[in-house]
Amino acid sequence: MATLFVAGMNHRSAGVELREQLALEEDKLRGILADLNDRGLCAEVMILSTCNRVEVYGLAEAPGEARAAAFRALGAARGVSLAQVEPCLYHKTESEAVLHAFRVAASLDSMILGEPQILGQVKDAFALAQSCRTVGPTLHALMTQAFSVAKRIRTETEVGRHAVSASYAAVELARKIFGSLEDKAVLLVGAGEMGELAARHLMEQGAMPVYVANRTWSRAQDLAQALSGTAVPYEQFPATMAAVDVVITSTAAPEPIVRALEVDRALHSRRHRPLFFIDLAVPRNVEPAVNDLEGAFCYDVDDLRLVVEANLRERHKEAQRAEALVEREVAKFAARLRDLEVVPTIVSLREKLETIRLGELDKALSRLPAASDETRQVMEALSQAIVNKVLHAPIVKLKDSTRQGHHARLAELISELFGLRRPQREREP
Amino acid sequence: MNAVLYDVALTAYIIATASALGYLLGRRDGLSRFTVLATETGWVLHTLALVVRGVELGRVPLMSLAETVSVVIWVTVFLELWAERAYRVKVLGAFVLPVVLVLGLALPTGLRVLVLTPAATSAWVKVHVALSLVGLAALVLNFAAAVMYLLQERQLKTKHPGTVYYRLPSLETLDRLSYRTLTLGFPFLTTGLLLGVFSAGKAWGSPFAYDPLALFSSVMWAVYAATLSGRAAGRWRGRRAAYFALAGFCVLLLTLGAGVLLQGKHGT
Repeated sequence: MATLFVAGMNHRSAGVELREQLALEEDKLRGILADLNDRGLCAEVMILSTCNRVEVYGLAEAPGEARAAAFRALGAARGVSLAQVEPCLYHKTESEAVLHAFRVAASLDSMILGEPQILGQVKDAFALAQSCRTVGPTLHALMTQAFSVAKRIRTETEVGRHAVSASYAAVELARKIFGSLEDKAVLLVGAGEMGELAARHLMEQGAMPVYVANRTWSRAQDLAQALSGTAVPYEQFPATMAAVDVVITSTAAPEPIVRALEVDRALHSRRHRPLFFIDLAVPRNVEPAVNDLEGAFCYDVDDLRLVVEANLRERHKEAQRAEALVEREVAKFAARLRDLEVVPTIVSLREKLETIRLGELDKALSRLPAASDETRQVMEALSQAIVNKVLHAPIVKLKDSTRQGHHARLAELISELFGLRRPQREREP
Repeated sequence: MNAVLYDVALTAYIIATASALGYLLGRRDGLSRFTVLATETGWVLHTLALVVRGVELGRVPLMSLAETVSVVIWVTVFLELWAERAYRVKVLGAFVLPVVLVLGLALPTGLRVLVLTPAATSAWVKVHVALSLVGLAALVLNFAAAVMYLLQERQLKTKHPGTVYYRLPSLETLDRLSYRTLTLGFPFLTTGLLLGVFSAGKAWGSPFAYDPLALFSSVMWAVYAATLSGRAAGRWRGRRAAYFALAGFCVLLLTLGAGVLLQGKHGT
């Protein structure tokens, strides 16, 4: 019986130097996939290659051999020997492999828990293997299930929610203050890259218009143009605060440039509608006292980092729920996989009896040349009924056996008794 | 029959409250749906209980304290279900239902039975009571929104996001909810109280003659009137408005307490 396996390395098991040497371009992967399949090492195989992991998923009679061949080939391109790779590899089979596949697709095994790219990467790897015709029913079932599990986890848990980068964390905070960011005005003080990034994130959520103030007027104008905003003279930025909802500061000023007194004035003139300060500068651009003013919220880089940490903790708590969900799905899938294993036996058993039936029917009818259409029909129906009755019990038993786990033995026995050719599925090339 | 229905409804509210608190502090989305279901079930049973009682008594169930509290709860739960949907504030139940329970369990038990004197049961009095109760129910929600606002504002100011931070909606949503419930409740309260003044003038000779409930009600009205005018003028919002909402609710509780504990002209 062929075994489902996964072998590979990820950000925990191997250093980046090794991982990047094994990350190959698509053409090379195609070659390796076809080779593993042609040589009969893997009946089914796909390779997932991202910057954080290189993994081979497959179905093989001898998974150890298949793994060695796969990683020898993956290393060969850049002259990395199997001996160098081997200590960093993990190897899982059957339900452990299923669990691994589900966890990877659902981003529970990712370096940044819940990051969304991995699902797309798994889908790409699957599509590549499909185009190389190295995907059979087992990998197909495994991956479609993995995709649906990943989707469920994304919608039913919050493992992918809550920002894990400072600039996105700032956007989320803004949403916790303003609800929708639609038509919220932004003032960007300083032309730093971080500030620009944060402004862009806010704009993606509908924030507009954007004002840019910078000591160098031409830089302010350039950045304003890049963000389709308006440049305001640097001296006027305190006055502009009254007209905006979010102020992002990222200047290199050695001491605070946003004073509590000015903010208080701005808040007063905007009737204490909230004003959110994102201070990305070090040393800080916004006086700490600003946060004490009613309606003002000020987050500096350290605060944002704390929020990111809290967000990650939240993701980890959610991950526990996700893991429970994955485990339930693995159990379900194992049952499906076992069902899948008896299908070829059932098919060849049916084929065998059908061949016998048609042969014997032909023989009998040739001895009855004068038989009427009615007779022929009756004989046809009779032979079919006999075959179906004979097949009924073994097929039911075989299907039931998957639940008790002795289906492999039973399938073999049936093949032996009925003289079936060994079920090959679509594994052989 | 009516008592059984009322007990079952109350049980559903208790279950809904536990579930709502569980949702606020835990992390099971199912609890949010369950809370709504339990609340709706409770409300439907409660409606039936009120109808049955009305039929049994052959009058609107608004004459005794137990009846009025029951109606306040009924309207509050209805408004809560509406606001939760309209403002997509899934945790609203966790802040409204406990208040409902306190009212439902504590007020009618062991305290003076307050029943309006038959003399004071003109149609206008009934309208006075009904309108005031709708106003009170909206103000219970106003209180819940204010508490939620202050909690969330605190989380944002101290920069230490806890479980509540992730569950509560934005400050903007909470501020709008608090304003909306005030603008909804205040006209009812005002009209209700005016009718009260009008009826009292006729029944007692003087609108406020030594009646604690009437006196406290006017203080309560004044606090809410101040909050509303401050908000409408754009001077108060957010935290300040939330503090006023809390103050208003404290007076509201005192008013109810006065009605229950102190002897006055509202009942015997």
